[in-house]
Amino acid sequence: MWGQIKQALAQSTVQFLTRLATLLPGVVALILALLVSITLGCILAVIVRRLLAAIQFDQLLTRWGLPSLAELSPANSPSLLVSRATAALVIVAGFLIGVAAIDAEWTSLFVRSVFGYIPNVLGAALVLLVGSIIARFLGRSVLIGAVNLNLQYARFLSVGVKWLVVVLAVAMALEHLRIAPGIVKLAFGILFGGIVFALALAVGLGSKDLVTKSLERDAQRVSNENIEEPFRHV
Amino acid sequence: MEVEPLAQQAQQTLEQAETADLVIGIVAELDQEAITGVRDALRTLSGLPRVAILIDDRTAQPSDPDASGTSTSPFLVPWPKLTPDTPGTPMLSVALAYQSVFAACEKLGAQYCCVLASKLESTGPEWLRELVRPLVEGDVDLVAPRYARHKFEGLLNSSIIAPLMRCLYGKRIHNPLGPDLGISRRLFQRMTGADRNSGNAVSRGNALASVAPAAVCNGLQVCEVYTGARVYAPTDWTNISSIVAQVLSPIFLDMERYAACWQRTRTSVPVSAFGDPVSVSQDEGSVDISRLVESFQLANRDLQEIWGLVLPPSTLVELRKLSRMPVEQFRMSDDLWVRIVYDFALGHRLRIINRDHLLKSLTPLYLAWIASYAQALATPEETPLEQRLERLSAAYESGKPYLVSRWRWPDRFNP
Repeated sequence: MWGQIKQALAQSTVQFLTRLATLLPGVVALILALLVSITLGCILAVIVRRLLAAIQFDQLLTRWGLPSLAELSPANSPSLLVSRATAALVIVAGFLIGVAAIDAEWTSLFVRSVFGYIPNVLGAALVLLVGSIIARFLGRSVLIGAVNLNLQYARFLSVGVKWLVVVLAVAMALEHLRIAPGIVKLAFGILFGGIVFALALAVGLGSKDLVTKSLERDAQRVSNENIEEPFRHV
Repeated sequence: MEVEPLAQQAQQTLEQAETADLVIGIVAELDQEAITGVRDALRTLSGLPRVAILIDDRTAQPSDPDASGTSTSPFLVPWPKLTPDTPGTPMLSVALAYQSVFAACEKLGAQYCCVLASKLESTGPEWLRELVRPLVEGDVDLVAPRYARHKFEGLLNSSIIAPLMRCLYGKRIHNPLGPDLGISRRLFQRMTGADRNSGNAVSRGNALASVAPAAVCNGLQVCEVYTGARVYAPTDWTNISSIVAQVLSPIFLDMERYAACWQRTRTSVPVSAFGDPVSVSQDEGSVDISRLVESFQLANRDLQEIWGLVLPPSTLVELRKLSRMPVEQFRMSDDLWVRIVYDFALGHRLRIINRDHLLKSLTPLYLAWIASYAQALATPEETPLEQRLERLSAAYESGKPYLVSRWRWPDRFNP
């Protein structure tokens, strides 16, 4: 019986070592691929950053009217953002190559599904980026406009507009990523509908007098300004 | 600067006219009698130049026997949409009228052109003759009006445009943006040529703002003509920030364009002036500035994140102190105001944020300066109006090294 135990142990050890031996080249290949991709990624990032600096990419973006992209970037530098994104892409590619070396069949399925999902991720990222730029732009427009109209609740209005656009962009991005689309649609519908309904109720019922007084006060102020002040500008 | 394409009707009239020495565009709302007065006045110009007067085709009287005839000078040319419908954008309307006048000038080979955009208090439109006289009879390239001024009128010009342009380009022109200007062909061609050379299609609203810088930077002759007080449109307070943005944007654009020119200029000199100064009575007594101050205080609370992108910390600290002052002691120093204008000009150049946002966020600061100015003029010990404005211009000039330094090295530490 002792002999049988020894044999079983020896067999399992051999099997484990054999499996390990067959996996080991793949693991080494994965590590190697990762190391190479990290090195390549870093080199590429430096090259991209220098190229972008040479063409003054950050200033170009600002000149094209996209200064808010700088505010979203690390260290306020879109060049850094692009170079880091390039490095990340190279490293991810290296990782996928390394994984393919371990088990080609499983990896090909995995890679196929990952690549199939990439357009959705890119689309969602684009929606988020554009949404955030629009939200910031509209938020500032409303803030400056409301302050110039002497509205005391200017900041509140601005933040409200900004977050409405951000929420809309996030809902669109989640829809694009196919993450619980039903829930997202439902939640967004309830949220938006709720806000509009609450505003309608506020104006129609509870805050009718308040809103009327506020509007009257604003209208009175504007007409007073037109009548009383002697200032002429152009 | 783009030249407006000629409309068909105008083209026909201009073809009949063949040539003219002087083209005048009438943008101001004048009745038939006033237009006749202008024509009679222009007939007395020495040398009897052929004068074409462009009037808006919507206001032209078909019964007028001279409306379509070009045989006797001055002759009228009905011009399509000479005063375009651009509500809330007065400067843009005048700039577009200048484009039309320049187009007619080119077509007729005119040596001079002029736009009549204002009505004056207690003077008929005959004063236009005095405006064009230095053009026709002298060797002058730009004639700017020197309106008699009430202390609270033309404030955008008094607080920013005139002192800034004086400090930048070194000529003391009191109304560099007119809007009633006399321009020689030589100046007009320099402006067109500069645009072609730079390869940029300058925005249409830029034509008016570029006139004075183009004249000074090309070494052309500039003079002023004393006129009466201009009648200003009442302030539309709901639209004031758009007007500020609309007026300042082309001036700041020209600062980029003529940077090499204004950085060489050190001091300013007066330009020759024709005619006699006209004095106007100034309203006495104080005005209510509480709304202006409230507007500034609100902006100081809510616009910090935007001002913080443009203004250095020391300026922000001073603004915070100012916002805590009671209305009766509210004073913004000229030095602070000048630094603010310079920082916004730099922010416009660097596109730190959207340019329209940037300029509109200047409005509460401009209102704060007006409040301070009105407060100062109300006190009995304050100096007369002209001296007060001269002091502001001097502050612009003494602050110029700050502008030049920040313009050249915008990334340098600025506490």
